[in-house]
Amino acid sequence: MEMTQTTPAQASRPQSGARIGRNLTNLVFILPSVLLSLTIIGYPIFEVMRMAVSDVNRFGKIRGFEGLGNFLKVFQDPIFIQSSYQTLIWTVAVVGGTVLIAIPVAIILNEDFHGRSIARTIVLLPWAVSLAMTALVWRFVVNGDFGTLNLALTQLGLPFNNHPWLATAASAFTIEILVGILVSIPFTVTIFLGGLTSIPVTLYEAAAMDGATRWQSLTRITLPMLRPFLQIAIVLNVIYVFNSFPIIWIMTNGGPANGTDILITYVYKQAFAFGKLDVAAAASVLMFLVLLGFSVLYLFMTRQRGAAGQ
Amino acid sequence: MTRKAKRSALCWLGLSPLLIVVLFPYATMLSTALKRKDEIFQFETTWLPDSLYFGNFIELFANRGFGRALLNSLYISFGATLVSLAVALPAAYALSRLRVPGKGTFRTYLLVTQLISPIVLIVGLFRLFAYLGMINDLNALVFAHSAFYMAFAVWMLQSYFDTIPKDLEEAAWMDGASRLKSFRRVFLPLCLPGIAVTSLFTFVNSWNEYAMSLTILREGSLQTAPVKIAFLTGTLYETEWNIIMAATLVATVPVAIVFASIQSYLIRGLSLGGVK
Repeated sequence: MEMTQTTPAQASRPQSGARIGRNLTNLVFILPSVLLSLTIIGYPIFEVMRMAVSDVNRFGKIRGFEGLGNFLKVFQDPIFIQSSYQTLIWTVAVVGGTVLIAIPVAIILNEDFHGRSIARTIVLLPWAVSLAMTALVWRFVVNGDFGTLNLALTQLGLPFNNHPWLATAASAFTIEILVGILVSIPFTVTIFLGGLTSIPVTLYEAAAMDGATRWQSLTRITLPMLRPFLQIAIVLNVIYVFNSFPIIWIMTNGGPANGTDILITYVYKQAFAFGKLDVAAAASVLMFLVLLGFSVLYLFMTRQRGAAGQ
Repeated sequence: MTRKAKRSALCWLGLSPLLIVVLFPYATMLSTALKRKDEIFQFETTWLPDSLYFGNFIELFANRGFGRALLNSLYISFGATLVSLAVALPAAYALSRLRVPGKGTFRTYLLVTQLISPIVLIVGLFRLFAYLGMINDLNALVFAHSAFYMAFAVWMLQSYFDTIPKDLEEAAWMDGASRLKSFRRVFLPLCLPGIAVTSLFTFVNSWNEYAMSLTILREGSLQTAPVKIAFLTGTLYETEWNIIMAATLVATVPVAIVFASIQSYLIRGLSLGGVK
């Protein structure tokens, strides 16, 4: 789209051949980055699609064309259906919880108060740490026998001595969702802080002059002005959380009894534990389509905002 | 109490539940890493160790091959930072300074590479590196990480380049400097802080990556730090949390300090990525 649009100024000034030639030479600057990502990202996309419609043995050798057979196998697998349902819960709960917590946190962090930069640093801290490490430490924190969560709760006089948090699927999944929320907060707060600083102070001043209370300026100015940032935060978080792998993989490995499996852990197990590379590829393609849908939605939203801003 | 002091107290109070949850794992790591093994498996656990014990760290490096894992991680993170800078620098320069056909398409393309997560393509990635004979090759991770973290580097660098006035380079051309010379002598030195921050982010991202490293490096001696630590839990019949917490402390604290010092620059990169 953007390529074909020419501004009147450009159209009235025809480009000379030499100039177009130089512009084409400038492609050299972006070529290495395109080649690198086409190889590392583009080729695997092609491979996944090819395997999804092929009969592949466990050593990765393609034995023939399978058509939609792998997709049928995927849809007939009750664990796939269960994982899809759990993915939905996981994504909605993590993204919803993240946004609900991140809004007030961002609003507080946007206030002028003593020690604000320290508070910001602590809030953003989980971003700096590998998800794998975070998951591992939390797995120990909630350990029934030696974990520090039960230690702290017991010290507070609560009856949680030796409570095995990861033993049942419901409780394990809840813990994982909470950890998922914790690690998604930094990114989301950063987006909201960007949104809050873009709201002109004059709006609040005018509202205050008209006698608006702090609550009114929050609900009538701040929240409506944050709306576009909210939409973007939701879509980006859905994209990231939907295929977030390390937390569940390290804390419960999808167990007990597949009770915490989501699509990505399902794919990983199919491929690298059961050697069903074709089924894994078919499930990957399905995930990829969902991601593509959200990506298009995101592109559409940012374009729309860009157009509105011009 | 002044108004600001009162407001500060309220703000800290409001944030306190989240801050406690964020800091809780660090208290756990510290408390556990400094304990002897038998102290963890006591019936009555405590926060403070009986005495400060550093043996876990020694054990980690002497007998668990953790030094090797750190070196693997360092190699990959340095390599990925260098490769992604090598391709992102010219791309960001072109986006900021030059007329390039298809600029808009390239921008969308970069965004799309950021929205695709490596884990969805993991089966295809494994096959790609198997074809290239690069399973169990640290360089596979260098290229994989640089490809997935390149787009963010381009955005960060471009946001920096955009802040440098064009007049400076033009003045250098007027004085007879060639384009390349003015790039090297005028432009590049001014961008060094931006390049440094971008490198650090790429480094931290690569250092923390788990899924691709887990899948492509299948040999124990080639594992990166996060993968190695996660493996320590599975391979022993009795999970030695004291060793594992010591390892997480070593692998996270330096990176967290680096990250904390550069976090304010994050917003720049995000803003060009179309977020802001």
